[in-house]
Amino acid sequence: MPRESGTSRRAFLRDGALMAGALVLGQSKVWTQVFHGPFGEAVKRIDPDCTLTIAEIEWELSPKKKIRTSTYNGQVPGPLLRVTEGKPVAIDIANKLDHPEIVHWHGQWIPVAADGSMEEGSPMLPAEGRSLVQFVPKPAGLHWYHTHAMAHRDLKRGLYSGQFGVLLVEGRENPGAYDQEQFIVLHDWEPYYVASGDGSLMVNYVCGSVNGKMLGHDEPIKVRESERVLFHILNASATEPHWLTLPGHRFQVLALDGAPVATQARVELLRLGPAERITALVEMNAPGVWVLGETRRDYRDAGMGTVIEYAGRTGKPEEPRDFKLAWDYKTFGDTTPKNFTPDVTIPLVFTSKFKGHGALDQWMINSKSYPDVSLPALRQGLRHRLIFENRSTDDHPVHLHRHNFELVSIRGTPVSGVRKDVVIVEAGATVEADLVANNPGNTLFHCHQQDHMDSGFMALFKYA
Amino acid sequence: MRRQLVKGIDLNRAVHSPIRGAQLKSVFTFLAGTLVLCAGEQMRAQGNYEIQVYGADTVAPRSTMLELHSNFTAEGHPALDGVAATNHAEHETVEITQGINDWSEVGFYIFTSEQSGLGMQWVGDHIRPRVRVPEKWRWPVGVSLSMEFGYQRAKFSPDTWTWEIRPIVDKTVGRWYFAVNPALERTWHGPDVNQGIGLAPAAKISYDFTKKITGGFEYYADYGSITSISSLRNQQQQLFPAIDLNVSPDWEINFGAGIGPTAATDHWIVKAIVGRHFNWGHKG
Repeated sequence: MPRESGTSRRAFLRDGALMAGALVLGQSKVWTQVFHGPFGEAVKRIDPDCTLTIAEIEWELSPKKKIRTSTYNGQVPGPLLRVTEGKPVAIDIANKLDHPEIVHWHGQWIPVAADGSMEEGSPMLPAEGRSLVQFVPKPAGLHWYHTHAMAHRDLKRGLYSGQFGVLLVEGRENPGAYDQEQFIVLHDWEPYYVASGDGSLMVNYVCGSVNGKMLGHDEPIKVRESERVLFHILNASATEPHWLTLPGHRFQVLALDGAPVATQARVELLRLGPAERITALVEMNAPGVWVLGETRRDYRDAGMGTVIEYAGRTGKPEEPRDFKLAWDYKTFGDTTPKNFTPDVTIPLVFTSKFKGHGALDQWMINSKSYPDVSLPALRQGLRHRLIFENRSTDDHPVHLHRHNFELVSIRGTPVSGVRKDVVIVEAGATVEADLVANNPGNTLFHCHQQDHMDSGFMALFKYA
Repeated sequence: MRRQLVKGIDLNRAVHSPIRGAQLKSVFTFLAGTLVLCAGEQMRAQGNYEIQVYGADTVAPRSTMLELHSNFTAEGHPALDGVAATNHAEHETVEITQGINDWSEVGFYIFTSEQSGLGMQWVGDHIRPRVRVPEKWRWPVGVSLSMEFGYQRAKFSPDTWTWEIRPIVDKTVGRWYFAVNPALERTWHGPDVNQGIGLAPAAKISYDFTKKITGGFEYYADYGSITSISSLRNQQQQLFPAIDLNVSPDWEINFGAGIGPTAATDHWIVKAIVGRHFNWGHKG
């Protein structure tokens, strides 16, 4: 399974099918074992369904751009894991790196021990260590797995690396009738620090990729006229939001962060903050050769795009035009927002502390940085209204582990029917979201920008 | 031409568009070659028309920086040999810098002088292309190279046609900022045409007291020819306590007061720089 370098789109999908067939079995000694059932109870160890090996490789983004990075199973993205909701899985994880690692199952409502967050209490995987993680996938939808290790100032670690992959949890209900499905995984590479517009350091990147390849260096996605293509799109960037378009086509958004939306609106432009996912259906009714990619030209020039090729069509791909960058979660909510009454209200105010033009800001929630942030305990079964108030000049894609939440207002405008586990709280904005506490155990809340979470933007919810 | 404490970029703009490395390297090679060709002559700097330690950053592509440099010489030199006095002269310089790509820019200067009895006078113009090592190369320090060429009227500068090459190295560490500009100058027309290359270094050290207020010292000097360093008395040396106000990515504000302790230096100068950054073509 491990490769030395480049994996094609076909191979990426094939590997996913192999994982679905659950055949890769690790035979090495298990150093750390984590066995948990759906409610955290200890269960008997089962044979692993697959193995993830974390190791550093040379990866070819294009013939002229090769990088060294750590990956899962020697490929970028890691193998597509297709699992069934409610059917237990066991995953053998081998860490071939010289430092501890941890794998987070992003979007899954699973016990702390399996979730993959050191802050919650999940065990780290030691250097050269091995562990077996076992959980019952839930909920269905497009999710992902990725390293949850800190990077701090090492821009080769954490999500700056190639340690990410798609976890597709298939439910009983099909998300919609379609002829083929495609996975689109965005990532930015070769990070470096630059001065930001508001005066502190920020991370920028040399290049970007879709499914581990720069634009023009992967096989085109082949489609036929009138086909309905289901796109599973994940932004696995450590820090960058991305805006995607496919000229001449519209995306019918079916789900956000794996959760079906109330209104399946058709839009030309998709915004995905770091860690956000969109499941969208596209009717292929504009024959030609197109670039599905970043609407911003500079990002496409840096590699963020892939080619969609209709059968019988050739030629230079047509690139997206510039769009006014606008996105509103409310587009996908109930036409008439429902009104919920919370049992508990929890304000979460985001601010930063300036540490110099040559330093990263220190981030705070309610005036404290992790681990000093103190939050009220969650009470099982109650509806908690989280009030995200962003008093900083940065947008923040905030993420809640092991749960999701339903948006109830954005900048004071009511919304319902949009459930997320990551939401971008724009600079100066307030977003309210309701969390029904139904998965006891420590629950990490953090900004999914790697540099922000490394600089204090995290807090731990505990259950009463 | 400046230290941009805040880069003033549209955060939606990708800084990571591909760089044509070979092209940039050939520009550096060309500039280095030009430096060698300059050997053997000395020039005078553009004087106290623009008093600034350059940072390594360049203006972003599709954007323009418009600056006004205002310098008043409170205690300078009297008129001498047909050259206007600097004493009590108010120099206003308009600088327009256009970003070309993420590693180059071109600046253009309009120098003026106002003195009692003379009114506002046009002094001259300079053009200044500059290239930098792109940040994406991830060097541990910022590095750029500027080349400035232009004309000043003999009434204000005996050396009328001059050329300057200015290597720039800077580094920000936490709240501290350091920059050095070991500039080399050459006169193409004027009394110093036979004096070879002159060394006119500048340096800056500053500290971020807050996000918006940075204070420090700027040092400017002209040591004379690199083959025959002037005596201390004949060197120009100035030290400016200076403040930078980082009120917005779109604005650049710097001011300071300079002391010139040597006989060849204007003794007291007050300077201010106000710059406005304009983005072109950004959407969203």
